[in-house]
Amino acid sequence: MSGGVDSSVVAGLLKSQGHDVIGVTMKLWEGPNGEMPETGCCTSADSEDARKVAAKLDIPYYVLDYTASFSENVIDNFVDMYSQGLTPNPCVECNRSVKFDHFIDQANKLNCEKVATGHYAKIVNNNNTFELHKADYLDKDQSYVLHMLDSKKLEKIEFPLGTISKPEVRQIAATLGLKTAFKKDSQDICFVGKKDYRNFVSKRIDVSSKGLIVDKYENEMGTHGGIHAYTIGQRKGVPGGQGEAKYVTKIDVENNKIYIGSKDELTTKKFLIDEVSFVNSIEYENLSIQTRYNSDDVPCNIEKVDESTYQIELKNPTLGVAPGQFGVIYQDTKLVGGGRITSKVLEEAYE
Amino acid sequence: MNKNDYMYLDHAATTPLREVAFEAYKKTEMDAYANSSGGHALSRKAKNILEESREFISSCFGAAPNEITFTSGGTEADNWIIKTPFVDQEKKSELITTQIEHEAVLASAEDVDKKGYKVNFISCDGDGITNLEEFKQSINPNTLIASVMYANNETGVIQPIKEMSQSVKEINPKTLFHSDVVQAVATKKIDFHSLGIDSAAISGHKIGGPKGIGVMFLKTGYKIPSLLHGGKQELERRAGTVNVSGVAGLAAALKEQQQNLENETKLIENERKIFESKIKEEFDVKIIGENVNRLCHISNIQFNNINSETLMVALDLNGMGVSRGSACASGAQKPSHVLKAMNIEDEVINNHLRFSFGWNIETGDGTKSAEIVTNTIKEII
Repeated sequence: MSGGVDSSVVAGLLKSQGHDVIGVTMKLWEGPNGEMPETGCCTSADSEDARKVAAKLDIPYYVLDYTASFSENVIDNFVDMYSQGLTPNPCVECNRSVKFDHFIDQANKLNCEKVATGHYAKIVNNNNTFELHKADYLDKDQSYVLHMLDSKKLEKIEFPLGTISKPEVRQIAATLGLKTAFKKDSQDICFVGKKDYRNFVSKRIDVSSKGLIVDKYENEMGTHGGIHAYTIGQRKGVPGGQGEAKYVTKIDVENNKIYIGSKDELTTKKFLIDEVSFVNSIEYENLSIQTRYNSDDVPCNIEKVDESTYQIELKNPTLGVAPGQFGVIYQDTKLVGGGRITSKVLEEAYE
Repeated sequence: MNKNDYMYLDHAATTPLREVAFEAYKKTEMDAYANSSGGHALSRKAKNILEESREFISSCFGAAPNEITFTSGGTEADNWIIKTPFVDQEKKSELITTQIEHEAVLASAEDVDKKGYKVNFISCDGDGITNLEEFKQSINPNTLIASVMYANNETGVIQPIKEMSQSVKEINPKTLFHSDVVQAVATKKIDFHSLGIDSAAISGHKIGGPKGIGVMFLKTGYKIPSLLHGGKQELERRAGTVNVSGVAGLAAALKEQQQNLENETKLIENERKIFESKIKEEFDVKIIGENVNRLCHISNIQFNNINSETLMVALDLNGMGVSRGSACASGAQKPSHVLKAMNIEDEVINNHLRFSFGWNIETGDGTKSAEIVTNTIKEII
């Protein structure tokens, strides 16, 4: 229970279905004295909202401490990825290493049959094989950030919002008299909040080393104050050309260089994904891929490179494929699997 | 919640109000509700209750009535004594305290530190006893206050208060020796003067009195600035309408406690021992401060290989309330600074739970509690 409307409604729905529900707020992130943050999400005000919802629903409620696991698996990774010129996705890391790992373990120990969250995604039981599908309400679909779950894990999970729309969720919350019914959704990275992630990164590691900004012919176009401040596809802070907008097309960590180019140069056709996992068995037919959260599905073919690495060939070249983000493969609404887009992606594009 | 439905073993956090305290509180609130500073009959009635209670309460600690001031609780008393005397412009004054104090003292000491005064935080040994030599060595002519808790609230381990107060007086007789006795008074009879304690903080609700009432003891001869300014209450030491009902409740609780102290503590100790021995039979555990002098009502247990956060939740779901470290604003509980100061290894610092017994304990509670813990652990491993 994050203190938002989605998980509040999940608790309410499960309770009304007659389940024994335990509400938990995962404390993921804290200030220097152990306090919950005041901005972003997971704030002390959010946990207070969750507590009030739990009290209203008359369910036990706990704030459990996952700060060590979150810091090790999510924050360190976030900072590390930027320092390598990659674009991290902390929500995926959190789901993989904290929420659907340590948290499920703890819930199992407490003899809970299942863990339910307010994610918009659908679990389909197909003859005791559990499939992960996009939410019916596609606007909110969050299956992308859940791609690492497999059938065995899904058996222990419920996503009660998979068939409900956001307006319906708010309606249910209002009917149940939950104070979070009209609370604004949070969109920020929970531990960064509304602030610039660059400051967050530069406070943690030395990234100040200046370097060159060049075009694809190695012509010097300007200088930069640290590669952590750039992501693939970024336009802001990039020296402009005559008329045509320039974008970051490649980050060369080794030589501390940022490559920029026109929009066309951002186009990718082929790339690799590694750390690949599949929800059920692998599929090859009628596939499409999302290369970042909530991006369009692009039809693709996949080819196995080795056990954990696959090559993706897009049927239509697409923009903004950023190393560090995840490529998540679907067959219609069914999530097949996914993996991390590797830094080799742009070398492919340049060929 | 009914005692039979829920095994409450968090008395060190707060203990239920004694019936007599509730009655005294209610009676005062109903019959003597006037402001004790007023000039009419009802005020005099309140004032009489206040001063009679003061006489009785001070006598319980071997103190004179004018040596105690009523506060909102232990935290206020600690803040008052530790923070307000540091006023010298040269910032020469020094404070000595320990690493294992309650947050009320620690945070006050940090405040003194922030203002530019030197503060020594004395370390402790593996049993949680403050290092006496280190303490002695840090006393000097500039030491304004030395503050050491009588017994720790998380481990129950009793500190060498008399030796410390003596060494303070030998090295710098002007130093004020303060002791936070909030946890200790739950099950210990304490005489301030004979222990050499110059000032102390007491909280009503740890004794079975109401919440929101406490005592600041300051030995005759010492003077400290006020913390709260306003009216002339409490001999002009502390402003604010006096919580006479709270004082009456505290006096009644204390009266019952002092009369029954021997029986209460005997029963608590007995049940706690039964509890500990049964847990030891079943599991691989270490009881903190087992072989040193500690308060009879606190049992801080290290469960090897069991995460105490999970255990605490599972116990709650099975009808037992205990605690773990100190709670932060969100309700999450962190491994405590006390265990860290004791150099408890990182691998087991998340494996501790504090079980604390209280005055309303009954024969058989030790066994019953051990059964709940045993069954719960078997469920979660």
